[in-house]
Amino acid sequence: MLKIEHLTKRYGKKTAVDDLSLHIQPGEIYGFIGHNGAGKTTTLKSVVGILQFDAGQIFIDGDSIRDNPLECKRKLAYIPDNPDLYDYMSGVKFLHFIADVYGIPTAVRQERIQKYAELLELTGDLGQPISAYSHGMKQKLAVIAAWLHAPKLIVMDEPFVGLDPKASHLLKEMMREHCDNGGAIFFSTHVLEVAEKLCDKVAIIKQGRLIKAGTMEEVKGDDSLEEVFLELEAE
Amino acid sequence: MLWLLLKKQFTEVFRSYFFDAKKNRMRSKGAIVAWFIFFFAIIVGMLGGMFTVLSVTLSLGLSEVGMNWLYFLLLCGIAIVLGAFGSVFNTFSGLYCAKDNDLLLSLPIPVRTIIASRLLNVYLLGTLYASTVLVPMLAVYWIVNGITFARLICGLLLYCIVTVTVLLLSCGLGWVLAKISVKLKRKSFLTVFIALLGIGAYYFVYFKAQDMIRDLIANAEQYGASIKSGAYALYLFGRIGEGDWLAAAIFTAAAALLTALIWILLSRSFLGIATASGTVDKVRYVERRVKRKGVFAAILGKEFGRFTSSPNYMLNCGLGVLLLPAAGVAFLIMGRTVFEALNGALAVIPGSVTVLLCFALCLLSSMNDMASPSVSLEGKSLWIPQSLPVAAKTVLRAKASVQLLLTCVPMLFASVCVAIVLPVSIPEKLAVLVTPVVYAAFSAIAATAVGVKMPMLNWTNELYPIKQSGAVAIALFGSWLLCAVFGGLYFLVGFLLGAPLYLLVCTVLFGTAALLLLRWLDTKGARIFAAL
Repeated sequence: MLKIEHLTKRYGKKTAVDDLSLHIQPGEIYGFIGHNGAGKTTTLKSVVGILQFDAGQIFIDGDSIRDNPLECKRKLAYIPDNPDLYDYMSGVKFLHFIADVYGIPTAVRQERIQKYAELLELTGDLGQPISAYSHGMKQKLAVIAAWLHAPKLIVMDEPFVGLDPKASHLLKEMMREHCDNGGAIFFSTHVLEVAEKLCDKVAIIKQGRLIKAGTMEEVKGDDSLEEVFLELEAE
Repeated sequence: MLWLLLKKQFTEVFRSYFFDAKKNRMRSKGAIVAWFIFFFAIIVGMLGGMFTVLSVTLSLGLSEVGMNWLYFLLLCGIAIVLGAFGSVFNTFSGLYCAKDNDLLLSLPIPVRTIIASRLLNVYLLGTLYASTVLVPMLAVYWIVNGITFARLICGLLLYCIVTVTVLLLSCGLGWVLAKISVKLKRKSFLTVFIALLGIGAYYFVYFKAQDMIRDLIANAEQYGASIKSGAYALYLFGRIGEGDWLAAAIFTAAAALLTALIWILLSRSFLGIATASGTVDKVRYVERRVKRKGVFAAILGKEFGRFTSSPNYMLNCGLGVLLLPAAGVAFLIMGRTVFEALNGALAVIPGSVTVLLCFALCLLSSMNDMASPSVSLEGKSLWIPQSLPVAAKTVLRAKASVQLLLTCVPMLFASVCVAIVLPVSIPEKLAVLVTPVVYAAFSAIAATAVGVKMPMLNWTNELYPIKQSGAVAIALFGSWLLCAVFGGLYFLVGFLLGAPLYLLVCTVLFGTAALLLLRWLDTKGARIFAAL
């Protein structure tokens, strides 16, 4: 579903991501962990076509993000770490805007908006302007917008930040359901317990370089993910 | 601490002057100097020049009859209106709606220091506006009447009193606006409506100015006597400029007292208003059947939504929407008189009235430049268009289309009005219909191109990209310059071709430039946008 091959991204003289390769199969929830400034967000932004990279290739379901960005973007959805949405729109207008861009038929979008808004308990606030939303509400709206066009790949940067425990739990269930239906999820997190319980595979990045990747068992063995992460960070 | 906050604000305001966001590096020293010279020339050359002419006219007329106090009173009045009107929305947004209010309030910074830093910013903007009147006013007076120690000191005191008055008025009005805005639902349109009333009053006075000045100079003594007997304070105020120490002392003390009062009012209300989330009723969500839109229509709708959501945006970048139809209607009513007056004065150059009217319409259309800050206004939401399956050129075309639609439609109306009234040949009438509309299309595409080239994405107050960005300045003043050049060229060489052919050449030039710029937007512009 997602194939990152030898990805390198530089900011001036600083190499933010250095020769990173990852493969994510359909049905997998893939966690991406690393300390602040390790290169997680840069990688995620490169995957979704926001950042142009210096070397390597990224394929979404067989299409290159560099050569065929629109086709790739139709297959994916992105939730950034800080969902700055259009404050001047109401929640529902924003969702319809996203639905229009993805060409989702009216009946389908109405049904999905209703389903996910009720699930995340946002229905009552959809008429409100986004400027009146809390961080958590914006995050929920971004989640609904991401799920709206039933993407094959969902890329999320710290998706649980700002969500209340119930919404976090619901989001984890949505992620699992999405992957059980053949989709894939690639997300970054600092919450190692969540990564350990939720992810099928995990990758650890340090100073732009991938230092460990594989199934959860391969990465952590008999230890906890936290122990492994801290050990690798110390090296 | 105050210095730190000021430095932060100025860094933000002047960031685009020093920093090239596209190349992600500082501009060269030469480029920085060129930028500042350009803006200084525009402020001094255009606004300053206009008020210098006014000052000379008034000063020569009023000093003859020994009524220089009236000269100061009038020009200071203009400076106060110009300064306060120019900065009231800046005060509102800068003081109460700045995006970093929460951040600064959470830091160990005294609230008063935050207010002071914001106020200084407002003061400088108001002073900039007011100075375009005050500096010529003082200079002309000193040149015409001679400079003495008392006149110099009192003149400078008058300058300070007026600029402080501008600040006080801006603060007072900004405070009222802030108070109202936390209670209102449709505040964007109401704010625009109130502002438009002010603009209407301004233009009414502006168009009557010549008659009023003539009348004032002719009856100066009579008016002077009325003011002295009915409003002695105004007489005293005008006396400051003449070097009256007592008047200067009284008004300096009054200004200081008012400053203290406003300071107390702001200190007490700032926290409440800046952190208010509004008390308007919650909008209940009712599911409605929605019509599906195409991608371009969706992006266009989003751009229109952005434009109509912000009074600042509408007022600063969309006045042409109203001015063009208003000009059309006015021409239907008074057009024949205007034509005859102009034709009488410019009879030696056939067709010049048609050309002038064409470029007057183009000049009015330059009040619409909503496309130029449009890229910058994406701000931190830029990730949305960049991550959606939408080609960058579609986004840019939608941005240009907002200006295109909001300018070409009113422009067509105004052009039709002018063409109906003008007693000229059919080819000239056709040129009046076509040239301004093609120019409007060109300026919309050009404004978008400038916006992509000079983005200002990291702002904490939307006024910075709307009012103070290089892109907006270039779009606005560049359009003025272009109108002046093409209008002026007719008088130099264009008349040899005749008005219809000259306007045809202009139309072809604007049309070609528009197509070339559109091609640039679709290719290089789109690449720049995608890489922002």
